[in-house]
Amino acid sequence: MGQGYLTVFTEWNSSPIVRGTTRLGKRRQLLTPMSFSLIHAADFANRIYSEVLPAMRAGAVVLADRYIYTAFARDAARGVPPEWLRRLYSFAVTPTLAFYFDVPLEEALHRITASRARIKYYEAGMDLGLADDLFESFRLFQGRILGEYERLRGEFDLTRVDATQTLVRQQQQVRALVAPHLAGVRRMEGGDVQEALRRSGLAGRYVEPPTLRSGGEE
Amino acid sequence: MTAPRFYGMTPPGVGGEPLPGRLIVIEGTDGVGRSTQISLLKEWLEDEGYGVVDTGLTRSRLAGPGIERAKRGHTLDPITLNLLYATDLWDRLERQILPALRAGMVALVDRYVFSVVARAVVRGVPRDWIEDVCGFALVPDRVFYLDIEVPQLLPRVLSSHGFDYWESGRDDLGGDDVYASFVRYQTELLAEFRGLAGRHGFTTVDAGGSVVEVFHRLRDEIAEVVRGMEREPAAVVGQTSTPAP
Repeated sequence: MGQGYLTVFTEWNSSPIVRGTTRLGKRRQLLTPMSFSLIHAADFANRIYSEVLPAMRAGAVVLADRYIYTAFARDAARGVPPEWLRRLYSFAVTPTLAFYFDVPLEEALHRITASRARIKYYEAGMDLGLADDLFESFRLFQGRILGEYERLRGEFDLTRVDATQTLVRQQQQVRALVAPHLAGVRRMEGGDVQEALRRSGLAGRYVEPPTLRSGGEE
Repeated sequence: MTAPRFYGMTPPGVGGEPLPGRLIVIEGTDGVGRSTQISLLKEWLEDEGYGVVDTGLTRSRLAGPGIERAKRGHTLDPITLNLLYATDLWDRLERQILPALRAGMVALVDRYVFSVVARAVVRGVPRDWIEDVCGFALVPDRVFYLDIEVPQLLPRVLSSHGFDYWESGRDDLGGDDVYASFVRYQTELLAEFRGLAGRHGFTTVDAGGSVVEVFHRLRDEIAEVVRGMEREPAAVVGQTSTPAP
């Protein structure tokens, strides 16, 4: 965005139409491996058709925080057949680039448990009955998911990023890989305001976006 | 009793143990009289001593309310809508239908996977895709298709709730002419149902007859389907079965 590219962001599990159902299912623990899979596919579909495809047609860069691979890894770890998952998500747009941020299991467990008060029921795979203890179940389930990701890396063109590196190093690596793909992507019309800001060495971080887009007329 | 069969994949969490119950599906378009027939069949089966569970499209605890909310917005793409239907179907299969079948009951289902497929295909969703996605559906013991022609359907729909937005395919066809939209959508839908009926061996019942005529036909067919099932002895003794007149 700082480079002026028209950028749209889409996040897993955020469709305004489907999210309420997923939340109900999680809160009441109504979800089983198949319904968990189907409802997340519905959420993903709604974002593909209402956010991703329109933005791509308009020439934007779409940044997706988690994509079909999340479902492939997590649902397969729940015992859902991989072939069926591939068919289920066959409407997905093939990404230009897909990054897989890789950390060893122990590090992942440490990061999540250090930053959160509590691990959620489905996140720990408690619905699978792997262990009575939440943390133990979480460890087993996350281990299965990492195993699935290893398989996915062979099947799909996932670019591995070593996420034990510093954030700066990770960003350098990711930016270098993304840059060649940005040729011809639409940049935002900054108008004179953005140009003036740039000359003053400012990004206009706190200025409302419409002001920048319309050249300060609004 | 045979091991459960599914159309595509065997879903996780479902064992291969035989199911002593029966899965009976009633399919047909909106306004054809399915719910009336289900009510009558349920009463009759219970009087005959069978345990009955009835369930229908969008009645799942998980996805039912969300589908209703989403449809109120009128802005849903067909892939999302059909994935919500698939979620609803699976949830009811898992929570209502399979437990009933394991317990030796009759599951009477008002619209099943075929309604999902037919509506999806009419809306331009690839048939292979929706059939694969719904491949977790258990193959029923019998599917009855209540068949009707659009001219016979019109007075029934008008005298009950009128032309529904979705049942007129207005999400798909657009335009302002509700009547034309309804006729076109229902014509396409009926053709799709008839194709499914042929491919999947449905028992087609002419729904143009009176409620009682249709009921007698269904009752006589279902008597065969449930033959040999366990039933409540008291009901068998207390209630003498009355076959077709």
